[in-house]
Amino acid sequence: MLAKVGVPVRFLAKRKNRSDKAPAGDEASLNPNAGCGVAVPAGDDTIILAKDIVKSFGTNIAVDGLSLSIKRGEVYGFLGPNGAGKTTTVNILTTADLPDSAELYIDGVDALSNRVAARSDIGIVQQQNSLEKEISVRENIVHHGLMQNMSRKQIEARMEVLCERMQLTGRLDSLVRDLSGGWKRRVAIVCSLIHNPKILFLDEPATGLDTQSRNLLYSMVKAINAEGTTIFFTTHYIYEAEDLCHRIGIINEGKLVAEGTPDELQSMVPPSALVVTFEDGREEVSYHANHEAAQRAALEMEGATSIAVRQSNLEDVFLELTGRSL
Amino acid sequence: MRPYNIFSEALRVAYGDLCFFRRNIIQIIISSLIGPLLYLIAFGYGMRSGSTGGADVSYISYIVPGIVAITTLTAGFASTSQKILIQRLFYTSFDELILSPMHTPSIILGKSIIGMLKGLVGSVAMLILGVALSDTLFITPALIACIILASFTFSLMGVMAGLLANSSPTLTMLSSILITPMTFLCGTLFAVSALPELFAMIIWVLPLTHASELIRSTALGWSFPWWSLLTLLAYAAGFFLINCKLIKEKLY
Repeated sequence: MLAKVGVPVRFLAKRKNRSDKAPAGDEASLNPNAGCGVAVPAGDDTIILAKDIVKSFGTNIAVDGLSLSIKRGEVYGFLGPNGAGKTTTVNILTTADLPDSAELYIDGVDALSNRVAARSDIGIVQQQNSLEKEISVRENIVHHGLMQNMSRKQIEARMEVLCERMQLTGRLDSLVRDLSGGWKRRVAIVCSLIHNPKILFLDEPATGLDTQSRNLLYSMVKAINAEGTTIFFTTHYIYEAEDLCHRIGIINEGKLVAEGTPDELQSMVPPSALVVTFEDGREEVSYHANHEAAQRAALEMEGATSIAVRQSNLEDVFLELTGRSL
Repeated sequence: MRPYNIFSEALRVAYGDLCFFRRNIIQIIISSLIGPLLYLIAFGYGMRSGSTGGADVSYISYIVPGIVAITTLTAGFASTSQKILIQRLFYTSFDELILSPMHTPSIILGKSIIGMLKGLVGSVAMLILGVALSDTLFITPALIACIILASFTFSLMGVMAGLLANSSPTLTMLSSILITPMTFLCGTLFAVSALPELFAMIIWVLPLTHASELIRSTALGWSFPWWSLLTLLAYAAGFFLINCKLIKEKLY
């Protein structure tokens, strides 16, 4: 019995003008075997080059031969279910953690043998706001600038620009502990950008933010990227990745299982998804070449309590690749 | 690229802690004086006597340098270990530090500055009180240098404890096992020679015994205990190297 057949509008609205976001010279290709030792292209436009990262914790292999090549000026989204090796990979790319074996170059610098030099090119916004809560916003920003070997004059000049943009100017003398989560995140972003890094790592930046703060964050990410900063970010919000990223990598069980532009990834599953819910609560999703084919398949369903046809999306790709939802 | 200057980098690392210190200086001074004052009242005026190891000075003159040594230990150890533990586990701001282009020795030195400063401030306040109470105590540059060295050594020990402890209860346990026994037994409130010989030999190995010897000798004008200076320097170097290893190899 057909309970519901329809196409939610939001999925249709998502698929517009994707190609205009790709940076010049982007030759991103779908690379489902990238984690299996496929050679990574290196070139002048590659700002992060990681080859065959392996990291184990005891007998558990967290990252298993993963390779990545991030292009200068792109926004790269890194998706994966919990425990897939996402955080471990990011920790290695940011030089916070050492791999068991790997090659890692940050803007041409061997980041494993020269971590201090590589870190000058990196800004990081961690999932938790890693600010000093008992000192002021200004003191936190100055501290970050000092730790990046900047002079007080350089810090003051850059702080003025960034705080203006983040609407933080009026709160510079507030204690961080007195700020809400959204404001703290803005402070963390200013701190991470104070030294004008070439690469900004954002680890689940929208977690815990309200809609307004989240929208501000997205516009900030776009503005920072428009200035030429490469952005690497992990997220649980698949629409965030679709909307912001030039390319997306999906990691599962320590391996990169797919990589490409959102459209390229999207094409890994047929465009129409038929979602059927059965009496026992079980839900099945099948993919079809078009809505008509999906609707025909829906008519043949027995024992269904709910049926919906919608446009397939990145979450479906993710589910197909990993067997898990985000 | 500018040449590496460990002291300049250490001050950059310490900036956040120093801002906190400046904002809370009154509370920090008061809290760092409570313990030493209690020792002074309880032992100096309550008990009134204890073994001075045959030294020809009043008991008050004897224990004030001992209490100063305790202050360098408690202020140096507690402030750095607790701060690093909180920054590591709760604020995760320690990660920011590790991910900055600061060199590992600068990070260790920078994180020990707050403990060194608290130890120095508490100790000097206690000494000023001691000089008012005893006419055989003198504040000299050598004494201040010894206090700085002791505070620095115990701050480095605090950095190590802050890196190794994986929870607040673990740090409390470390403090109970290491700090509390040293506070009472390391020649601070009575002479080590008053203890049974075997026990005294163990106590002589501990760093607070040598900090106490150094501070007491310089405060009372006794002959300088070079052996204690070397021992304390060796402890400081040892803690520094262990901390380097812990951070470089991310063993914390």
